[in-house]
Amino acid sequence: MKTISFILNGKKTVVEVRDSETLLYALRERLGITSVKEGCEIGECGTCTVLIDDEPHYSCMTLASKANGSDVKTVEFLGTADLLHPLQEAFINSGAVQCGYCTPGMLLSAYSLLLKNKDPDTDDIREAISGNLCRCTGYIQIVEAIKDAAGLCKHNS
Amino acid sequence: MLPDFASIIAETKEEALSCLSSLERAKVIAGGTDLMVKMRSGERYDHIIDITNIRELDGIAVKDGVVVIGPVATHARLGSDAAIRENAPGLALACSLVGSPQIRNMGTIGGNIVNASPAADSIPPMLIHDAMLTLESKGSSRKVRLEDIIVAPYKTSINTRELLGPVEITSLKGYREGYFRVAKRATWAISRLSVAWAISEEEGTFKDVKLAIGSCTPMPFRAVKVEGLLRGEKRQPGIIAEAVRIALEEIKLISGIRPSFAYKLPVLRGILENVLGGE
Ligand SMILES: Cc1cc2nc3c(=O)[nH]c(=O)nc-3n(C[C@H](O)[C@H](O)[C@H](O)COP(=O)(O)OP(=O)(O)OC[C@H]3O[C@@H](n4cnc5c(N)ncnc54)[C@H](O)[C@@H]3O)c2cc1C
Ligand code: FES
Ligand code: FES
Repeated sequence: MKTISFILNGKKTVVEVRDSETLLYALRERLGITSVKEGCEIGECGTCTVLIDDEPHYSCMTLASKANGSDVKTVEFLGTADLLHPLQEAFINSGAVQCGYCTPGMLLSAYSLLLKNKDPDTDDIREAISGNLCRCTGYIQIVEAIKDAAGLCKHNS
Repeated sequence: MLPDFASIIAETKEEALSCLSSLERAKVIAGGTDLMVKMRSGERYDHIIDITNIRELDGIAVKDGVVVIGPVATHARLGSDAAIRENAPGLALACSLVGSPQIRNMGTIGGNIVNASPAADSIPPMLIHDAMLTLESKGSSRKVRLEDIIVAPYKTSINTRELLGPVEITSLKGYREGYFRVAKRATWAISRLSVAWAISEEEGTFKDVKLAIGSCTPMPFRAVKVEGLLRGEKRQPGIIAEAVRIALEEIKLISGIRPSFAYKLPVLRGILENVLGGE
């Protein structure tokens, strides 16, 4: 076992993990963050995406011990049911959510993009979410939503 | 679930080397994008040594026309690093095409080399740049050319006690350099065919040509026969056609005839004609 200490959604977190466990497992089973989903577990679907130091990573292939000392964000960081992030509002308004399985990961990849690029074009957006699969929407609404949110964020800042 | 193992987060190179020398069934992990998949499908180790915290294995430096790349530098870093873009733009491009953003944030150049896939995107550009590897074990170190280390698909002559240290590539400033890959789709698809090149020309004559081809043969290879043929020749359709013919012959000689060649080789011919003909 190892004791790891990291910032999870802005809060200092200390947790015991097995040496051979993934960050996905630690987040879901030890810390109750079930927005991070388990899909393929081999880096091909993106539903386990988390931000480590604001960059998207697959938590299914990241050892939990690698999170020690870093900043980890999941979709809980973005907003709450009462106070949604503009990205979340835009996803809802554009019909970018169907079954929702891809949504947390998709939002995090989009959030990371907007941190680096306030004014992304369609190609930038498609590239940024290329590691996240959606089996429902066909992506058009997701790309639209991210564009709308970028406009809103720019307007607000 | 992963098979159980003990992990060591090495903070210094010495620590990693002494673990490798003293522990049985030990394995290095960098980004884990290859190893985690393998362990999930049953590969077992007793000890996993994480090297990504070791500062001296990270980073990129340029000295006297040689670019020194730390093995734990990620594809994302190589794709955006100013020194790589300036001195090895084909390598920067290849790294920025790997996998997905997540895979590029995790996967390292060292892991790409040691995994030794015939389709590894960073390998053809590094062959063009005459990549030289430093392999270290407790108490010793050796330097080997990248092209000498890969002995079969997914197999290198790096032994289990060795750590891949810095990778040195020579700058090819003044060359027209590039990388092109054909994949089933942009993301997650491994390269079906890849070409890295660097060409220097003067008044329509090839001064120097460097060409490496990936995914067609068991290991990516430098097309040295083609390079030799073109050096000093005027760039004109006859010699280019001959060069392309030789490249395709060499692939058939190395790999034998494969079903995939029916579509691969005509595509490769088109790419090579464009590359050598100056687009
Ligand atoms: C979904 C997906 C898509 C991918 N797409 C591509 C692609 O488009 N192109 C491509 O080229 N690859 C691709 N890959 C493969 C992989 O991401 C790359 O090969 C990556 O560079 C591996 O690096 P890593 O740090 O993750 O390696 P790891 O998995 O950490 O290690 C791989 C191997 O290298 C050894 N190793 C690593 N570093 C060292 C060192 N310094 N010294 C000694 N041994 C070492 C490990 O012991 C292990 O055997 C993909 C993988 C996945 C899962
Ligand atoms: S569960 Fe991690 S990428 Fe699919
Ligand atoms: S909404 Fe169902 S997978 Fe994207």
